[in-house]
Amino acid sequence: MNQMFYRWMKIVTLLAALSLFSAACGSSDSDSDSSSSSSSDSSSTAASDDAPAASDDAPAASDDAPAAEEEATSGPAAPQPKHGGTLVIATTQVGANVNHGVNSGIGIAQPSSKIFASLTHLDSNWEPQPYLAESWEVSDDSLTITFHLVEGATFHDGAPITSADVKFSIEVIQANHPFTGMWGPLESIDTPDDLTVVLHLATPHPALWIAVSDVMMPVMPKHIMDDGTPINEMKGHPNNVEGAIGSGPFRLTEYENTQKIVLERYENFFIPDRPYLDKIIYVIVPDEDATMLGLESGEYDSGGYASVINAEKVSNNPDLVAIPDLLGGVGSLNHLQFNMANSIMSDLRVRQAIAYTIDRDYVINTLHQGQTMELLGGIHPSSPFYNEDVERYDVDLDKARSLLYDAGYGDGLDLRINYIPGPNEQQRNVAEYIALALDEVGINVEVMQSADLPSWAGIFFGGPDAWHMTMNAYFNWGDPVIGVQRAYVCANIRPGVFVNNSAYCNEKVDELLYAAAAEPDVAKRKALYDEFQVITAIELPFYGINALPIFGANQLYVRDQPDGAWGPLSGMENIWLDK
Amino acid sequence: MTDLGIAIDSSTEAGGRGAFRMFLRNKAAVAGLVVFTFIVLVTIFGPAIYGQEAHKMAAGPFLGPGDDAGPLLGTDYLGRDILAGVITGGRTTLFVAAVAGSMAMGLGLVVGSLAGYFGGWIDALLMRFTEIFQAMPSLLFSLVLIYLMGPGTWKETLAIGLTLWALPARLTRAEFLRVREMEFVKASRAIGSNDLRIMTRTILPNAMPPLLVAATLLVVIAILFHAGLAFLGMVDINTISWGSIMGKNRNYTLTAWWTVAFPGIAIVITGLSIALIGDGLQDAFNPKLRGR
Repeated sequence: MNQMFYRWMKIVTLLAALSLFSAACGSSDSDSDSSSSSSSDSSSTAASDDAPAASDDAPAASDDAPAAEEEATSGPAAPQPKHGGTLVIATTQVGANVNHGVNSGIGIAQPSSKIFASLTHLDSNWEPQPYLAESWEVSDDSLTITFHLVEGATFHDGAPITSADVKFSIEVIQANHPFTGMWGPLESIDTPDDLTVVLHLATPHPALWIAVSDVMMPVMPKHIMDDGTPINEMKGHPNNVEGAIGSGPFRLTEYENTQKIVLERYENFFIPDRPYLDKIIYVIVPDEDATMLGLESGEYDSGGYASVINAEKVSNNPDLVAIPDLLGGVGSLNHLQFNMANSIMSDLRVRQAIAYTIDRDYVINTLHQGQTMELLGGIHPSSPFYNEDVERYDVDLDKARSLLYDAGYGDGLDLRINYIPGPNEQQRNVAEYIALALDEVGINVEVMQSADLPSWAGIFFGGPDAWHMTMNAYFNWGDPVIGVQRAYVCANIRPGVFVNNSAYCNEKVDELLYAAAAEPDVAKRKALYDEFQVITAIELPFYGINALPIFGANQLYVRDQPDGAWGPLSGMENIWLDK
Repeated sequence: MTDLGIAIDSSTEAGGRGAFRMFLRNKAAVAGLVVFTFIVLVTIFGPAIYGQEAHKMAAGPFLGPGDDAGPLLGTDYLGRDILAGVITGGRTTLFVAAVAGSMAMGLGLVVGSLAGYFGGWIDALLMRFTEIFQAMPSLLFSLVLIYLMGPGTWKETLAIGLTLWALPARLTRAEFLRVREMEFVKASRAIGSNDLRIMTRTILPNAMPPLLVAATLLVVIAILFHAGLAFLGMVDINTISWGSIMGKNRNYTLTAWWTVAFPGIAIVITGLSIALIGDGLQDAFNPKLRGR
């Protein structure tokens, strides 16, 4: 009998331990240190030294040399970049495929930005820098933009990258990508020769410079993907998964989307002598503690995490380099989202009562130990268009109670809150706190948990009665036209994708957003976005909590971490390992 | 075997009294009984005496045990009192364990006794059916059931109870096979008892001792199962249990050990005390140790 007991104990313990740590054993190889192609002495100036020929109101080419080149010129002390090595990156994000042109999401963007090259890089000042396009011109009326492609660039199968591929890629993105605002004003694309792409716009479109940059513009092979698949069904094309042929610095060689993604150096990449790395391996590690243990033991070279406790730990660890925000320009907004299609939540007084009850300062200063930024307006605080001069709904429990009374819920109210599975401190913990806080004003809140993203999304897209409120994170994706506008305009009330899932609709807001999208003057554009944020902060389709950082950590020997606006969601052709 | 001294169709009254004396002789078992009784009393009366509501925020988050600003055993990520959680959480854990254990035991008794008593094709059919359940890893099966039904205390209980009955079923069958050929059973049949009476009044009391021990083990297993499910995040997060406190704080194991350690210790102590009781029962019912 005792034996049986111990056997059971063992089984139970083993099972629990297994499922916990199975995450950690995705891959354990950082073997191939073969420093191949040792022609690192050349340190040839890549395409980026010739400043792009920009004109007047286009985001001007910056005069400071791209950061990537700095190591070549910053004195004898700086170590020379070396070829070779494998970079093992631990990530919690799983994507449905590896092509960010047909779908959005960090899990897709990470490998996609390596496999597919874009027209431009965005530097840390949000200025475009040459990448696949070596130069460009913008017409005086900002309506015609001409890109000149690098000569001799090839796809991973050796076929040349031509203007036809760029045109095709933009069409695929337009037809499939959820960020419809990116290419909204595009009227037509001309390809006068193999290396020239001319974009004709209906209205000036400042967000275009985001749309052609790094992760947003994977240039896809027309000769492979234009095989009779209808353009709006490219999501299902086999070139988005195993065996994908891309245009970027790394080839996809192994793809197990919930386990690991292996990328290998593409020998004939169009920037000579790049990339430095032989291999990038993304290991999917769902558990943050496993990521931390792997970073501390040196199993992973780089990793991301969201817990503020872990952030503190990393900054105290001399063997690791802390990266303040791994997602760069993605700009994640953490907020309480209301389902305004629901009969209870459609009442503004109920939403206001909830807003008056939640103590945002408590969340940020106590639960997040002051490591996150408060979010008041609907745009990411790092954006120049952020407006913090809006209704704050400071805590006022009496007002909340009277609002509920007026709304007919004086006797109390039963609501459900769920949360997008992700960093616990940002989502679950805040949801649990909100449930406790609302208890004070007579709203009984049941916290619902979802086992994984698909089951949460099933509820989220489930219609008026499927959910009341959810702790959700929307990504800003650089420009408000891309990441913000989609969540507010009436035309975007449709299920199945991350658009206007609050079912919020205000014609005035629509007007402001559409006007701002086409406004080339930055000051006027800011005024329009300011007003938009004032209105939406009052009407509460979302109640902003905080800007969500994804902290990162690198081993000391990881050099030249991309510092552009997209951070690691870029080609990574300049990263190298100093070991 | 036959010196059990059990009369035909009798209860285990006489044997029971002897067994109780045997049990008292096992110091470890008595200690287990004392500890377990204490734990049950604490979970019943503790919350009212301690005062702090377990699901409310008591102080700042992540205060360690002994931190002057916080409660005795520290706080979790929302600033909830861990001690209050351990006291209150025991209710759910013990409830689930007791009900799930009884459920598994009951199912196992019915299936096992039918199979063992009637034999033949009924036995073959029931045992093949049991083997299906035995062949499946129980914890994974529970996970699947909860995934299908959704979390909730009763559903969790059901998911655990439904996966653990194979063990007692096989044991019951074995005991029935052993006892049904004994003289007093034949005697009972000879005086005209029907099947039900023979099964419940004649065989069952004599098959009871090992089954009682098995029942205590089942409760321990159910506690561990519930903790395991909760640790994997598969139970209702609105209900506080030892496992759910551990599961919710799982991500902070390395940074705030006390959030996971204390509920874990509670589980270990409870499991150990029940196992000791089971051990004592086994000794008590073991005729070879009697009179020693």
